[in-house]
Amino acid sequence: MITFLAKRTVTLVVAVLLSSFAVFLIPYVTPGDPVRKIIRSRVAGDVVDDATVRALGESLGLNDPLPVQYLRWLGDFFTGDMGLSHISRTPVVDQVMPALGITLSLVFVALGAAVVVSLPLGIIAALKQGSKTDKLITTVTQSFIAMPEYWLAPLLVLVFALKLSLLPSAGWNTASSIVLPAATLALRPISFFTSAVRSGMIDALDAEHISAARARGLSHVQTVMRHVVPNGLVPLSTLFAVWFAGLLGGSVIVEVIFAIPGMGRLLFDAVVNSDIPLAQGGVVVVVALAVAITTLADFLHRILSPKVSGALA
Amino acid sequence: MPELVVEDLTVHSAETGRPILDGVSLTVKPGEFVALVGGSGSGKTMTARSILQLLPQPLRIKSGSIRLGSLDVAGASESELNRIRGGRLGMLFQQPKKMFNPNKSIGAHLREPLKLHAGLRGHAAKAKVLELLAEVGFEDPQRGASSYPHQLSGGMAQRAMTAMALAGQPEILLADEPTSALDKVLEQQILELLDQQRIQRGLGILYITHNLASVAAFADRVLVMDAGVIVESGTTESVLGSPKTMYTRRLLEASNLAPTGIPEPPKHQRSALKLTKVVKQFGSGKRSGRPALDSISLEVQQGEILGILGQSGSGKSTLARAIVGLEGISSGSISRTLVANDARATAVQLVFQEPHDSFDPRMTLRASLEAPLRSHKEFSAEERSRKLTSAMEEVELDPALLDRRPGQCSGGQLQRVTIARALLLEPEVLICDEATSALDALTQRTILDLLQRLHRDRALTLVIITHDMDVVRHMCQRVAVLYQGCLVELTDTDRFFADPQHQHSQALVSAAIPCRGLHLKKIRAALQVN
Repeated sequence: MITFLAKRTVTLVVAVLLSSFAVFLIPYVTPGDPVRKIIRSRVAGDVVDDATVRALGESLGLNDPLPVQYLRWLGDFFTGDMGLSHISRTPVVDQVMPALGITLSLVFVALGAAVVVSLPLGIIAALKQGSKTDKLITTVTQSFIAMPEYWLAPLLVLVFALKLSLLPSAGWNTASSIVLPAATLALRPISFFTSAVRSGMIDALDAEHISAARARGLSHVQTVMRHVVPNGLVPLSTLFAVWFAGLLGGSVIVEVIFAIPGMGRLLFDAVVNSDIPLAQGGVVVVVALAVAITTLADFLHRILSPKVSGALA
Repeated sequence: MPELVVEDLTVHSAETGRPILDGVSLTVKPGEFVALVGGSGSGKTMTARSILQLLPQPLRIKSGSIRLGSLDVAGASESELNRIRGGRLGMLFQQPKKMFNPNKSIGAHLREPLKLHAGLRGHAAKAKVLELLAEVGFEDPQRGASSYPHQLSGGMAQRAMTAMALAGQPEILLADEPTSALDKVLEQQILELLDQQRIQRGLGILYITHNLASVAAFADRVLVMDAGVIVESGTTESVLGSPKTMYTRRLLEASNLAPTGIPEPPKHQRSALKLTKVVKQFGSGKRSGRPALDSISLEVQQGEILGILGQSGSGKSTLARAIVGLEGISSGSISRTLVANDARATAVQLVFQEPHDSFDPRMTLRASLEAPLRSHKEFSAEERSRKLTSAMEEVELDPALLDRRPGQCSGGQLQRVTIARALLLEPEVLICDEATSALDALTQRTILDLLQRLHRDRALTLVIITHDMDVVRHMCQRVAVLYQGCLVELTDTDRFFADPQHQHSQALVSAAIPCRGLHLKKIRAALQVN
């Protein structure tokens, strides 16, 4: 387990370094003078004349070799200096952190709701495998995959905001603002989670040790609670992490539709406006979080399923 | 203590109406060791499962009664049954490692019956777990309790399973092939453990098996089952000593792997395989333990049948995989000096232990068998098909089987197909890695006969890797014994059984000889007279 921990931590660091290096190169590979772009992200005022650009480039170390520049950039970045936005001219970190907080709460609520809905549905479907209940649950949740967010979101707004006037249609002002966007985001994970819980449970029910548990005198319900449900839920931990990581930057459609100032919206705006420092800040933060979450899920998987750790560590 | 009485039990499939058990009657008294024997598919396991009322879908009890003392098990309510299962009726299963929840420790498993049937919780339960594990032979019960199922060997897992069955203080123990997946030494140990419990607590044991040698050694009475019907029953001596039905005689003959058919070793001594100081070390640096193979030097003569004996974990399979090149070796050399003197990689073929695991379940057997031929461009589609048909005929199978998938074949059929697959590439040496261990005695016998015929007809060199002493005695001219990765003995079969040199060989040989009650030799003698 210790070796595994060390190995995964190294992988995590390498992944973050590689992706951040690619992000660091953005000003160099996009059209335009990289020096001017970088100066614009470092100096508050507007700089036009070449002499000042040269002097500033020298003092900012832009003539140093790329690896040296990269390390300096990375050091600044992780000490909270992500530069200035090209558009708003305010520090990137002040835009990224609030957006991250909003998206994290949105994704967390959406996936939490998805788990709360999928668990009982998947368990019931598996226990009544092949029955009408199973078919109903499977068909309905599978149909959620085919409901795109840009279709579902307006529909929900139409019903709950405009017709029933129960919930706000957009914005991020009150606690109730989170309901419709979270519901929209939760729908597709519900369908994936339900099918994962169902198939995990069916595998766990089929395992030979189940009959041994019955032969020890455990009732059907006790067997299900002790030996089927915990084993059947192991695959969900990995799936949850994958979705969590994916939605951090992937909630853009929902954020745009509901006018939520989150990470997806921030990245979308940064790209549309060619705001390089903002895009860099957003991407590196999302990647680092995503890698950290999947690593965490791997640890969790190992704790839940000791055989995996025995086989690989 | 009450006795278990099953009367006229009939079980059928609720869907097809096909009968599974037909009028089965049996009695197990306290302190009695009763054996239920039969080939695979004869209904032995379903008998045990119906006693526990744990029949798989869609099987149902149609008629008959099951009583434990004064209690009617067949008519008991679900909550009564939960008290009986694991309480008054304990059960052992065939594949002990698969019978534990892989995500829970052994201790957690043992605490379940303690809580359900003895009302023990917390510290009292933990103490009892250690006591039980010590009783079944765990040297370090603390470590045993905290380990997970995959960390135990097959033998230790069966001991843990026994501890779990004993936790509920059962009156009757249903042991469903508890030792079929274990080697002879472990089998002996487990059965002695059960027998000890029988003597100490007056435990009644229903021992389900296809292994007649262990029956002869331990059982008081024997019931023989064929196609869901008890065809013969009586004391062990009368049933095994003078069998009345053809089926029992066939079972006995299949178990009676006497050293009659061993051909003389070839006169011209040329080696087919030569291993020099072969070492295989898994892992590297500090984490590597003792090597899986430790300086093994061995020569296999052309046309001989060499047996390689060893317990699980002794390095047998690693050796087989190293010889065919599936596993690299750390040092030493393996040279093949073959008749045709060619270096074809296919000249040495391997037959695996689990026939169902050695085929792709999604491919038809034809597709699986054709794959290696396709890599040789010289065969046309027609030629390939002809080769496949003749290989199937060679292993005495209907070529029509080729269009089935592995799941639609029996273990015995598939093991023949595995041999056919190996023969397609015209090997000079065939290595059989526990090729018959997963099969019942009747099927095992037919596969061994097939191998002997191939050895005769094709002058095939055979290396038989096994833990089964009877197979070695039946088939092999020479025996090599592996112990903890070392080759500890290499000698002629006769000399090996008469005068084993190494301590481990002596243990193997003495475990192969029945110890209590009746002796197999007597039965064999009786059979030969008839």
